[in-house]
Amino acid sequence: MTIFSLIIINKAGGLIYNRSFHEGGLSKISTNDYLVLAGTFHGVHAITARLNPLPTNNRLSSSGTRPDPPSGLEILESENFRMQCFTTLTGIKFLLFSDTTQTNVDTIIRRVYEMYTDYVMKNPFYQLEMPVRCDLFERKLLSYIREMNSR
Amino acid sequence: MSKVAANGGGGGNKDQIPVVVGGSSSSSGGGLRYPSNGKTIYHRPINRSKTTELSQASFAYLFSEMVSYAQRRVTGIQELEKRLNLQGHPIGLKLLDLLLIREPPRSQTRPLNIITLLHFLKNNLWTHLFGRQADKLEKSLNSEVPDQYMIYDNEPLVNAYVSVPREMNSLNCAAFVAGIIEGVCDGACFPATVTAHSVGGKEEGEMWPEKTVFVIAFQPEVLERESLIGKG
Amino acid sequence: MSYYFAIIGTQDNPLFEYEFGTSKQGGDGQPRFTEQARHLNQFILHSSLDIVEEVQWTNGQLYLKVIDKFFNNYISCFMTGSNTKFLLLHQPTAGPASSATGATTTSSSSSSRNSTSVGANPTSPQTEEAIKNFFTEVYENYTKAIMSPFYKVNMEIRSPIFRQRVAAAGRKYL
Repeated sequence: MTIFSLIIINKAGGLIYNRSFHEGGLSKISTNDYLVLAGTFHGVHAITARLNPLPTNNRLSSSGTRPDPPSGLEILESENFRMQCFTTLTGIKFLLFSDTTQTNVDTIIRRVYEMYTDYVMKNPFYQLEMPVRCDLFERKLLSYIREMNSR
Repeated sequence: MSKVAANGGGGGNKDQIPVVVGGSSSSSGGGLRYPSNGKTIYHRPINRSKTTELSQASFAYLFSEMVSYAQRRVTGIQELEKRLNLQGHPIGLKLLDLLLIREPPRSQTRPLNIITLLHFLKNNLWTHLFGRQADKLEKSLNSEVPDQYMIYDNEPLVNAYVSVPREMNSLNCAAFVAGIIEGVCDGACFPATVTAHSVGGKEEGEMWPEKTVFVIAFQPEVLERESLIGKG
Repeated sequence: MSYYFAIIGTQDNPLFEYEFGTSKQGGDGQPRFTEQARHLNQFILHSSLDIVEEVQWTNGQLYLKVIDKFFNNYISCFMTGSNTKFLLLHQPTAGPASSATGATTTSSSSSSRNSTSVGANPTSPQTEEAIKNFFTEVYENYTKAIMSPFYKVNMEIRSPIFRQRVAAAGRKYL
C-alpha cells in the first residue's frame, strides 16, 4: 500500500499544490505538463458533473441544509494506480494518487483536507487561489503520509 | 469634578439634590449606551469558571486577520513586528489588573522586583492566555547584556498555524505576545522592551520547530531601583 | 464625617473624583466640606502622592492603609497592579455626622480616640477593614471599567454606572 502523490486544484482549475511522496521516485513530468493536466482534469470533472442521467433537485432540502453539489468524477482506476478526487464545498479539488491496494483513501483525503484548512487557510500569509507555500502544511503532510506509507 | 461641582456647590445648601442615586438611573439614557437588557459589564461577575474555553479555530482566524491588517502598508519586517507589538500592548496593561483581582486575596500582591514579575508572567499570564505555563525562564549569560531575561515557549499558540514565507524569515508573529508581555511590564512600573525570536531548528526531526524566545530588556532605571530596593 | 475619593492615574493625573458622606450611624451620605475645604482637599490628596511613591516599593500589598495625615485629614491609599492609585481622604469628626466641620485646621480627634465607630478613629482596625472593603469593591468595578475596548490607560472614567457603583460601595461600607 503506497500513496504516490497529492495534487490540489483551485476552483478555477489552477494547480496550487503538487507533491510526490514515493521514495523510489516517480516517472517525472514537467511542471508545465502538471499545469495542463490540472486544467484538463478540471474540465473533465465539470463534464462528468453534468453527465448525471438522473434529474437533480437543486432546491434546499427539507432539513434546510445546503444540498451537496452534483459530484463529478470521484475515482479513476487503472491497472497500476488509483486516483481519488475530493471536491470541497468551495470547489477546491484534492487528487490523491495511490496504488490499487490502498485502503481508507477516504479517511486519508479527509485528513489532508483538514490539514489544508488548518495550516493553509489559517495562515495569514496565504493568499486565496495562489500556490500553497506553507512550511507547516508541508511538514505535517509529509509526516502524516510517511506514517501511512510505512504501515 | 464638573458633576460634583454642579450639584454640590455652595456647601450651605442642605436640601440639594444628591449627586448620584445608585441603582435608579440605569434605565435612563438608552440608545447605544446601555444594552437593551440593562446588563452592562458592571453587572457581570469578574471571576470566570475554570471550564470556560474559547475555540482555537476562531482565534486562529482572528489572529490571521490581525496579522494581515498589521501587514498593510508596512515597509519592513521590523515595522510589522512593531505593529503586532502595539496590538498586544494595551491587552497586557489591562490583563495585569484582571489577573491580580482574580488571585485569591492572600496572594494578591503587586510584583515589586524583577523575579516576582517574571514568575507572574511565566505562571499567571501564560496560564491565563494559553492554559499552561511557559516552558523556561532564563537570565542572559552574555556579559555584554547582563540584564536581559528570556522566557521560552516551545510552541506558541499564536504561531500554531502560521507559516512565515522564506523571504520574511526573521519575522515571528509572536511579537503580538511580546507586546502583551511588554504591556504587563510597563503597567507594573517595570518599563521594558520585549521582542520575540524564533530559535527552533529548521531541520527535519526537530522536536520544537516553532520554539520562540521572548527577550525582555528592562530600562536602566528599573535595574537601578532594583539594586536600591535590594539594599533596603 | 465626609469623604473625598479620587482615582489617580500613572502620570499623577486624576481619572475620577467623588465626594460623599458617611451613611453609618444615621448619616445621610452627604459630604459636609466647606467650599474652601473642597478645593484644599485636592491639594492634600495630591500632595500625598509623594509618600505613595515611597511606600509602594516597600509594601507589595494592594491596600497600603493610611499613608498620610494633614491636620485632621487622613489619606488611605490602594494601589492597583497597573499603578493606578485609589486615594480616600477622610476627616474624623468628634460629634455626629451632621455637624458641619469643614475647617481643616481643627484637630479634635483626641476625644474620639476610644470610639469604635467606623471613621471616628482613622487608624483603628475596624476603620481599616471598612476602607479596605470599600477599595476592594471599587477595584473590582475599576477593573471592569478598564476592560472596555474604548478605554485607554489614564483616560478619565466617565461611566455613570461606575459612579453609581462607587456610591453604592461608599454607602455600604463607610
